[in-house]
Amino acid sequence: MTPSEDSVFHLFHIGLLRAASLLVPAKQRAEWWREWHAELWHVRHACAPQSNVSREGEQQITAFCLGAFQDALCLRQQCWQTREPHALLQGSATRCILSLGAVLAASYVVALLLPGVRAAHILPSHQVNPGLIRIQNTGYDDDSSPTILPRQYRAWKRNRQQYFDGFAFYGVTQEPVEWVSASTGSNARAGWEVARASSNLFVLLRLPVQFTEPDTEGAGNMPKVILSEGIWKREFGANPHVAGSMVRLGLQNARIAGVAPDGSSGLPGKVDVWLLEPDSAIVSESVGYVIARLTALGESEMWRQCVPITVYNSDQPEDDLLGVSLDAGTPDPWSIYLFTVFLAFLALPATTSVSLGEYAVCSHKPSWTKRLYRWGFLSAKIAFILPIVYFISLDLAYGRTAFDAPTAVYIQLISSFSIFLFGLNWALRDQRQRCPVCLRAVAHPAQVGQASRTFLAWNGTELMCVGGHTLLHVPGLPTSWFSTQRWLYLDASWSFLFAGSGTAMEHKAITGFSSP
Amino acid sequence: MASEAKLSHTAAIILQALDAGFVYGFSIMEMTGLPSGTVYPAMRRLERDELIRSRWERQSIADAEQRPARKYYELTATGKATLRASRKRYPLLERLIPSEEAKSV
Repeated sequence: MTPSEDSVFHLFHIGLLRAASLLVPAKQRAEWWREWHAELWHVRHACAPQSNVSREGEQQITAFCLGAFQDALCLRQQCWQTREPHALLQGSATRCILSLGAVLAASYVVALLLPGVRAAHILPSHQVNPGLIRIQNTGYDDDSSPTILPRQYRAWKRNRQQYFDGFAFYGVTQEPVEWVSASTGSNARAGWEVARASSNLFVLLRLPVQFTEPDTEGAGNMPKVILSEGIWKREFGANPHVAGSMVRLGLQNARIAGVAPDGSSGLPGKVDVWLLEPDSAIVSESVGYVIARLTALGESEMWRQCVPITVYNSDQPEDDLLGVSLDAGTPDPWSIYLFTVFLAFLALPATTSVSLGEYAVCSHKPSWTKRLYRWGFLSAKIAFILPIVYFISLDLAYGRTAFDAPTAVYIQLISSFSIFLFGLNWALRDQRQRCPVCLRAVAHPAQVGQASRTFLAWNGTELMCVGGHTLLHVPGLPTSWFSTQRWLYLDASWSFLFAGSGTAMEHKAITGFSSP
Repeated sequence: MASEAKLSHTAAIILQALDAGFVYGFSIMEMTGLPSGTVYPAMRRLERDELIRSRWERQSIADAEQRPARKYYELTATGKATLRASRKRYPLLERLIPSEEAKSV
């Protein structure tokens, strides 16, 4: 073996030891390196003397150096064992972020598991066609009462209209319905609000029916029903494959053709199931609702929410009716969430101080990297809170399938706003109570005693960073000379108070102070 | 650590080697035939349990011999008591590595 090869091996062994030293806790690394470096010298001297350099000797030295990794790992384990299990994470930024991550994961998993929340996502709310009005008789106080007879509807539809180019009719009656319950698997029977509607109703409303059957060839002439979203969630367990199932309305069998989205709740009358029939089949003489689509001329006349409509009949006196714009329907969960987030940001300054604590009185300031880290931590907290609020509000609002759409909207509105406002408040308060150097939460609050009150006229609480970097003074009664909290940066002379011999060295490196 | 503390065979051999005058890591390796990955971690644990203690060789001695100073280990009082208890448990220890006293006898 040549001397150059010997040098290469020596460098290789030194490199091995250096790599192993990285596993050693920083406090012990220098001494560990000194010992192994000295031992390597002696091992080399014994195994590969310069006069007799051999590959076997180098292999022995390599095996010796590889043992350094086990030694380093042993020291590392001892270091972990000697620390208190919670001391590493006690009040630390990492622990805070991990906790938020856990809450986020839990709320997301719950959202995934709840069928109502899944349905809210896969069955988004649709707004009805904006050019639609509901026509009703003016003689009724309750504007949501059915007032139009089917024969009136048929007459309007038959005649050529100047202001309307489409009409649809539906009347709601309670009928006994029989179906196969999703929860029990057996036949269930109850009285549902059944809307017998003209077959063009959903086309006119421009509401896409969800979960329709891909192949309806086998359906024959069997009447089709469309379930309301509430009934679909409550009685059919939000089953997306519900289409094609049979229900019995009174004495009539019908086939489920799909699910009506929430937008249909803008229509008056509580409806559990829609039975679509041709106009000729609507023979009932009971009153119902008429939905009309406005032409361009009609829309130009519709300059407010309600307009009077006069119907001229050739053989009868004129009918005075009222045209009322249909409600726009319910907003989707994402829009509600964005709205509440915006509101919460507006409300935040009214509920808490948005400052992060006073630093101006202290000549010492943390380095820009520390400040960046601090802002990054605040941003991370808010970034976690945002999706947590979204998922928890969804869980609360849509978790129970018994809630109808407007109720769910209100619950989401209130819960999203409240939780986000609370979350922002917490994020700011937590940030103000974190050491600017290490971001640990300050602890061990101590009320300043009587002596301080007497001589310094200062009432307040003192909190301490467990890492020994700072003291936080929070005034109990804000005064003109001490209105907000102040940080006192501790130099290395305080280090004897804190556990861990590394605190002082760490201190010196961070704050740049030296012991007096 | 109490003298009756249970030691592994490896730890007992290392204590015996130290007692026999092999006072640094490499010499214990040579004496016992144990690899470095066993000897040094075992000595860390023995030192943590206060059965042995370490000290650095004086730099002047190392400089005089033109080599780096090395770290020496020695038994503490507790370590000696533990070794005595271990010899009862592992009677072959003294035969494997005769101690200084045994050699002088």
